[in-house]
Amino acid sequence: MVNKVWKKHYKDKWLQLLRSGDHKAFAEFIDKYKETVFLCCRTLGLRKDEVEDVASETFLAAYKGLSRYTGRAQLSTWLWSIAYRQGVNYLRKNRKQQQFKSELNEQIADSKQQLPPEVMQSKETEQLVWEAVNRLPRIWALTVILYYREGKSTADIAKVMQARENTIKTYLFRARQKLKQLLAVTFGEDADADR
Amino acid sequence: MPTDKSQDKLDEILGQVLRTHSEPVPTDFTALVIKEIEQARQQEILEQVVLQERLTLAGCITFGLAVIVAALVFPARIVAVFQSYTESLTEQFSSLLGEIPQAVETVSTDWQFYTILALVLLFTIGSLVELFVDDSLRVA
Repeated sequence: MVNKVWKKHYKDKWLQLLRSGDHKAFAEFIDKYKETVFLCCRTLGLRKDEVEDVASETFLAAYKGLSRYTGRAQLSTWLWSIAYRQGVNYLRKNRKQQQFKSELNEQIADSKQQLPPEVMQSKETEQLVWEAVNRLPRIWALTVILYYREGKSTADIAKVMQARENTIKTYLFRARQKLKQLLAVTFGEDADADR
Repeated sequence: MPTDKSQDKLDEILGQVLRTHSEPVPTDFTALVIKEIEQARQQEILEQVVLQERLTLAGCITFGLAVIVAALVFPARIVAVFQSYTESLTEQFSSLLGEIPQAVETVSTDWQFYTILALVLLFTIGSLVELFVDDSLRVA
């Protein structure tokens, strides 16, 4: 209980410092969330050099917008929505319209087929899962990351991606189906053995 | 939500694997962003100063122009305003001159008190000068 109160007090104090433009507090903020922002940008399909640019733009926008942060949404959800918007805007500006639309819906790698058995055998579970996630359309991959990695609810994901909650649920359902298909050789067999 | 066992297992694996993943980030990224923020802030301050200076300059030009226009359009009124100012200044100066003999008289009556006051004042000024001169010498 005391720990909880202390944590809340510390968080409030930290937020206050962040809002006041304290550089030390903001450096802590960057350190805490930089991986998440990089992951968001990479999942959206930005190249390595683009990822760094968009990530720093995201933090600059967050720095400017912190005074307007009301605390209604979680800080991480708020930052995710900025990162998503910055990434999508970057793609919109730097890719042709047609290419932009198809890019968001296309997978990072071809997802029509299962991962080849030799790939499945040669890699660790983590690599296999990431390879499968990267084969999903980018929007689905982002939904999966937000749901499973960040522990966000479908309502929060809908806020981040400015979509309807039902759309997010559909993305998640389809992503699961596709992942199940892609990872069938490894996890499907395990699951069957459990029965 | 998934209902079959394989789906549960998939959920579990996804949760475990994705949460433990660490995304590679350049080591100097935080310092770079902080530097960018600092630069952006300095740029903002510079822009504000430039804007203020421009506004001041615009104000000076507008005021000057307004005075010229006023002098051309209402010369009689401008002369009247300046005359009233010079008259009031002359009045104040002459009243000040008139008060000097009275002040000399007051000081000569209580000269002991005013001498001590003057000495204390001189000592204070001397101490302050010494303090600031010494400081500036030390800094140099």
